[in-house]
Amino acid sequence: MRSTISTFCSHARRAARHNMVGVLLLATTVTMSTSAIAADMNWRQFEGTTITWAYDIHPYADALSAELPEFEKLTGIKVTPELYPDDSYWNKLTIQLTTKSPAWDVVGTGIQPAWDLAPSGALEPLGKYLNDPALTDASYDYNDFFPALRSALTWKMEDGQIAAGGDGEVWAIPHAFENIQLFYRKDILEKHGIQVPTTPTEMGAACEKLKAADPQITPLGVRGVRFWASIHTAVASIAKSYGVQDWVMKDGKLDTGLDSPESIAFHKDYVDMIKKCAAPSFANDNWYQVVDGISSGRTAMAIDSNMFGFWNDVKGQPASGKIAFAPPLRAPDAKGPSSNIWIWSLAMNSASEKKGAAWLFIQWATSKKVALAGAVAGKLVNPPRASTWGDETWLNYASQPEFNNFVESFKATQEHAALAFTPRVGFGEAMNAWAVAMQKMVNGDDVEATLHALAEEIRAGL
Amino acid sequence: MTTQVSKVVALRAAPSLQASEATKGEHTERQVDWVSLLVIAPAILILLGFLALFFYGVYQSLTDLRLGRPVVRFVGFANYVALMKTSEFWNSVRVTVVYAVSAVFIEALLGLMIAKLFASGVTLARWLRPLILLPLVLPPMSVALMWTTMMNPQSGILNYLFSLVGIGPFSWISSPATSLISVILIDVWTYTPFFALIIFAGLQGITDDLREAARINGAKAWATFVNIELPLVAPYILIAALFRLIESFNQFDIIFGTTQGGPGNSTSALSVQAYITAFQNLTFGRGAAMMVVNWLIVLIGAMLTVKLWQAVRRRVN
Repeated sequence: MRSTISTFCSHARRAARHNMVGVLLLATTVTMSTSAIAADMNWRQFEGTTITWAYDIHPYADALSAELPEFEKLTGIKVTPELYPDDSYWNKLTIQLTTKSPAWDVVGTGIQPAWDLAPSGALEPLGKYLNDPALTDASYDYNDFFPALRSALTWKMEDGQIAAGGDGEVWAIPHAFENIQLFYRKDILEKHGIQVPTTPTEMGAACEKLKAADPQITPLGVRGVRFWASIHTAVASIAKSYGVQDWVMKDGKLDTGLDSPESIAFHKDYVDMIKKCAAPSFANDNWYQVVDGISSGRTAMAIDSNMFGFWNDVKGQPASGKIAFAPPLRAPDAKGPSSNIWIWSLAMNSASEKKGAAWLFIQWATSKKVALAGAVAGKLVNPPRASTWGDETWLNYASQPEFNNFVESFKATQEHAALAFTPRVGFGEAMNAWAVAMQKMVNGDDVEATLHALAEEIRAGL
Repeated sequence: MTTQVSKVVALRAAPSLQASEATKGEHTERQVDWVSLLVIAPAILILLGFLALFFYGVYQSLTDLRLGRPVVRFVGFANYVALMKTSEFWNSVRVTVVYAVSAVFIEALLGLMIAKLFASGVTLARWLRPLILLPLVLPPMSVALMWTTMMNPQSGILNYLFSLVGIGPFSWISSPATSLISVILIDVWTYTPFFALIIFAGLQGITDDLREAARINGAKAWATFVNIELPLVAPYILIAALFRLIESFNQFDIIFGTTQGGPGNSTSALSVQAYITAFQNLTFGRGAAMMVVNWLIVLIGAMLTVKLWQAVRRRVN
């Protein structure tokens, strides 16, 4: 018996030793394999390179600029930022990229300007970088970006035009996105007993009440510059709720929808509202003036990217805690508001001579870590990744008292938020014409006649 | 006798001397002055380069070139025909001509007044002389941005200053009714010193004896100015006007930096609209056509001014 037990124990000990070795061998193999996979993405593979990153002067640029030393430490790649005011940036972006200049490696773009750049092959397709494990870290997780944002930046070209449908090449990576809301100085509205308006007509009445109470105040800040930048925020969002479409199919052919009955109805209400509410400098106001106005208290309300309200609520800002949020204005008979979305994205110049380094920068700048850091710094808002919106750090930060009802309003608006434009090459030409027509109508030209003239101009461009 | 013979020999020798001198002259005429050609060669090359670029631009205006689209087709005068059918184009022509002519006229008038002040030698003039150059040395786009801020109807300093004396507020660049005159005023502020300096140089060239002679004959200061100084300085005014007219017809920075051609189309000069058409709307062929039309306007304006200058010079001489 004893010999049987001791023999068994001896065998058991031998077996255990063998098994232990085997387990250890297996564990070591697994560890080495895992390290090998992690080691495929070498962040320093383009060490010593210098790239140029071009962007708008914008809080999103500030958020990224603050983190640049960390990127340089991680990769050994030096990044030279080139930041321009909004109007200048879009013109310069078009010229730099369409003339195939390699000066800029990484550029900031929006969806709509990217459509116009598409036929020239100015943007580098990013699919091959995303799918290359030697260039994209396993933790990057492209699918973490909201599906609507990914879809908006993915398209294919057919016969020089953007083809409908969600498949195709990835042309840019979301950096941050904006939905359009009404944000207001709650202190000013409370002081004068003004209810938050929900329609252009209500807004007109509120503006008249505000002006009567305080002639020095500008009731509403909206963009009015002679450029598409003034169309894609308040105008596109509110117009959508009236049923306005930029392009429609008529008798099997593409046509503009800007002279439709819905468009005429919208423009009559909107132009009347602008005349009662907007600053005298409306025709020269871009988002800088809108933000400056609401931050300083010279403007009581604004319809623009919700990000601007959030940014000015951040502790330490002059208007901290004073800006609250509401969905954008809607048509009187609309079931709910509509909001356009604007996605600031990072794209690669196809003429860049440092594409590898450029991709590492884009990847890092849109990574989970940098997205979260930018969001809780109060600058990279709204974060484009689902993981950020599930992160307690961000949610706790955004729910602080100074941001008032930002989170609730974002969620309420985001339910109705979608790209208000038809993906199409020629966006800039048509929308610039719309901005000019808007200025004419605000200055007294007949709404219907101006819209018909606008539609003819756009048709001639087709 | 020997002297006479020598003279005859010399006379008889003269034809052959003349012949050899003539031959030498022919040889001289046939020789090319390579040194002079070498010296002016760079200028000729640059001129040819400019001309080549100009003709390339004209060619582009005859195509349907779109920035970023690789296929380009020759379409003849289609761009021009399309432009002339639109009221926007004719509005741009009107704005261009009104802007240039108004700005140059006001600058000439103010420049003459300032030049007279400088010539008077008063203390104020001595202080003003170095300051007058300041607007000229500023980059035009900086001037535009500065004036945009100053002309803000709500928070701009101009309306504030006017409010102190009970005037305004004015819309300045924010209303189509006042935007064109506002950008003209910015142009006047920037370029009047150019006129003042050139006219002042002209006034300095008038000798005092002419004025003295007029004074002795009983002419008052105004009569001296109108009948003596003004005619003598007129060629200078017209030379300055020629340069300014060419620049004003092509004015881009001030208008684009302030209004971008708006509000509506109230300041949509050809140069601004051409830029927007080519670089924002990406229809480069159409934009090039606008610039060719702009060039024609500049050419006609410049030729007329030169003719006037020549006539005035002849009269003065």
